[in-house]
Amino acid sequence: MPPVETMKAERVPSSASDEALVRAAQQGDTAAFEELVARHRDKLYARAYSMMRNEEDAIDLSQEAWVKGWQRLKQFQGESSFATWMTRITINLCLDAIRKQKRQRAESIEAMDEESGGVERQMPVVAVNPTEGLERSELRARIDEALGKLSYAHRTVLVLHEFEEMEYKLIAKTMGCSIGTVMSRLFYARRKLAALLDDLKNAKDR
Amino acid sequence: MDFDKQLKLQAYLDGELPEGERRAVESSLAQDAEAAALLAEFRHTNAALGTFESELKLPESREFFWSKIERELRRQEVVPRRETQLSWLWWVGWRRFLVPVGAVAALALLLVSLRTNHPGGGTGSGIVATFADDKAFTYRDQTQGTTLVWLSYAADDKSKEGASEEAIQD
Repeated sequence: MPPVETMKAERVPSSASDEALVRAAQQGDTAAFEELVARHRDKLYARAYSMMRNEEDAIDLSQEAWVKGWQRLKQFQGESSFATWMTRITINLCLDAIRKQKRQRAESIEAMDEESGGVERQMPVVAVNPTEGLERSELRARIDEALGKLSYAHRTVLVLHEFEEMEYKLIAKTMGCSIGTVMSRLFYARRKLAALLDDLKNAKDR
Repeated sequence: MDFDKQLKLQAYLDGELPEGERRAVESSLAQDAEAAALLAEFRHTNAALGTFESELKLPESREFFWSKIERELRRQEVVPRRETQLSWLWWVGWRRFLVPVGAVAALALLLVSLRTNHPGGGTGSGIVATFADDKAFTYRDQTQGTTLVWLSYAADDKSKEGASEEAIQD
């Protein structure tokens, strides 16, 4: 962990690149780290919120991710972008939190995931785009509601694939499961989401 | 459509199929209305999701959010220092016991050494423990007329410090 030496340093110029800020932060410059936090805090919060579906958990976990990021900053070699590296830390913390919640409820992600698989496989295809013509805010509200109704496992795989743009192999590694499991979870998640969005559309139309 | 075919269609959408399989799926889509409909459903869902996350904002000000992180960084920096202090105190505490134990061990070694050098044992030297004070040991060498007294008091006892060993000539 870099020493916290320059807490009261002047705010660094916002024109500096992420790479320059990371290098400064690796030397213990907390002002540079603060600038990095300011730049990427919304992205990390959004990722945590999408996975946890709870504002308070998302704030706490994204904050924890930043603290971990500072502690491990010397390990960052620049193989990916700083934002990607920080997002991976956030995702891992969220997965740990989800597993902990599941243990407390004596459930497993796998059990929840597979229990409803057959239903989605048999569902009729949603022929009409259920979100067509919606205002942006209405669209967001419907997706938010539909995502909230997915299981943790289905939502996580969807978030990692659609928002994080991870390939199957990386999702499998991140979630600790096989590529086949990733494919089936993603399939169920997409089908269920389409059905939920269709239900919401039908409910509004009535 | 069986499940394997559904998964293959999804892999096609996600760009996860090798070139040969990708072309095979593409050509089958023209004849398979069910597969084409499922692919359209996947695309609608993906497009809807694409608009979602970009508008999520952290509901705390920059200053407030940073202040919590900063506090945590400071707190964690204090912890290792406290641990270092505690480990030093641990050593000081144990030193009180280790010094007398070390003294006893040294005397025991000396005794064994003398017995080895004088197999007859006890003719010219011996150890006498003064039971009135269990921290004092006496060694007497009859041949040289020397008595050695070993006082093994704790090191932090200033009044006795430096008086751990005295030689008395007869």
